[in-house]
Amino acid sequence: MDIFLQLTLSGLSQGAIFALIALSLTVVYRATTIVNFGHGDFVMAGAFFVYVLVIYVELPYVFAAISAVLIMLGMGLGVSRGFIDPIKAGPHIGFAMMSISLGYVLRGGARFLWGREVFPMPRVFDIEPFFIGNLVVTGDVLFISAIVAVFLLIFFFIFYRTTTGVIIQAVYQSERGATLIGVNVRAFHQSMWGVGLAMGALAGILIAPISLLHPDLGATFLIRGFAAMTLGGFGSLGGAVVGGLLLGVAEQLFGFYINSSLQDITAYLIIVAVLVIRPAGLFGRTVTVRV
Amino acid sequence: MDTHNEVLSVSGLHVSYGTKEVLRGIDYNISEREVVAVLGANGSGKSTSLNAISGFVGASSGRIVFNGTDITELAAHKIFRLGVIQVSQARDLFPGLTVEHNLRLGAAVRNREEIEQRLEVVFNYFPRLSERRNQQARSLSGGEQQMVAIGRAVMANPKLLLLDEPSGGLAPQFINEIGDIVQALKDDGATMLMVEQNLSLAFKVADRFIILRDGMVSDGGFVKSLEGNHDEIVRTIYL
Repeated sequence: MDIFLQLTLSGLSQGAIFALIALSLTVVYRATTIVNFGHGDFVMAGAFFVYVLVIYVELPYVFAAISAVLIMLGMGLGVSRGFIDPIKAGPHIGFAMMSISLGYVLRGGARFLWGREVFPMPRVFDIEPFFIGNLVVTGDVLFISAIVAVFLLIFFFIFYRTTTGVIIQAVYQSERGATLIGVNVRAFHQSMWGVGLAMGALAGILIAPISLLHPDLGATFLIRGFAAMTLGGFGSLGGAVVGGLLLGVAEQLFGFYINSSLQDITAYLIIVAVLVIRPAGLFGRTVTVRV
Repeated sequence: MDTHNEVLSVSGLHVSYGTKEVLRGIDYNISEREVVAVLGANGSGKSTSLNAISGFVGASSGRIVFNGTDITELAAHKIFRLGVIQVSQARDLFPGLTVEHNLRLGAAVRNREEIEQRLEVVFNYFPRLSERRNQQARSLSGGEQQMVAIGRAVMANPKLLLLDEPSGGLAPQFINEIGDIVQALKDDGATMLMVEQNLSLAFKVADRFIILRDGMVSDGGFVKSLEGNHDEIVRTIYL
């Protein structure tokens, strides 16, 4: 039982990162109906920005993290304005091609600068592990869980309890309706790209200190984000969070109780199983997709 | 009817969808506190005319001037901020939000400081919506949804209200109710441009009418001058 609880705790901590990635993908998807296939590489870019700012610029981690989030926010606005807006009149598949290409450009850029080396990120906080009964709670688990929990509370409070949130919900439901109440939908799309990439960067920033950085890191983030979205229900914000947490726990449990090699393919197995058994996922909703 | 300052002037307006020219050089204007009905058969360009004024479709040539400002090239959200508010044919409500949220959103961008006051105004026009304020918009009947759509536009305190077929698809009792509400808005001094297929509703509230045919203004005049004889108008529209 202790092992099960320990694995669950560890899985929830990992899952919090996946939840953040899935949520950031969902924010862009719900606003624009675009699935950002390059999102994993943007997450990687966020982590690398922190690395550069901490190692080369010697900024304290917190300032580096805030700077990286802001840089990615700006990059999101720029991507939307510079690369998505100009192809809006084209076929929807163009968005997928564009996002994949932008992701590979980022990955290629990172490889160009750092090769295929792996980089250890310095530890951020040296928090001593503590025990709850026989359960070990490490500093990393505490740090990641706390940051993600606070972020999610703020995110969902804004979304459901503020006028800004109601306007966002409104645009999600009817873009033409939103234009009829004076919303600049084009600017809204751009800002959602910014928010999505900034949230993805936050995930990368949180995972950077506990994992090794390398330019190909994005692929593993992307597939886990997709698996969490699929499990929670494509397009559901709450579902993305629940899906991410369940995926994190499932990876740990499958890896320990069945076979460690299963850990890396849990995300793929979940995608296949959910699409076959319950395509709409746990909290799925019908989403109108522009084609 | 008192005639006041010119609010809207449309001159030589051409609009095309691809190679199909829908509006072919139309001209008309609206004065303050005036209600103008745009009549015409399906495909004559009535809704396109409204959508061009709102900024939803671009003009290929011509000019639209609102209160002295050339709005021909302005984006829809900027035209909204000037006070040109449209109630679209499809209503375009936010189905998962409550009636009250839908209404409040009407004033979220423009007129935010008067939101509570405007909400009372709208509930006075539509007491039924006050009773349904916590219901999701998707749960309302078509007539009630139309009330929310008009109410949402009224929340923004429009200087020019564009109504695109307010009676479209509604049961007769709702058509009368919507007619009464449009009349009440007129009595309170609203300036309106209304596309309407239902001639009795159009002539009940409009001061003036214009008829579009194949993207051009083919006829028009004051409703009073018809003296209740609408047959000639029907022939002009459809024959």
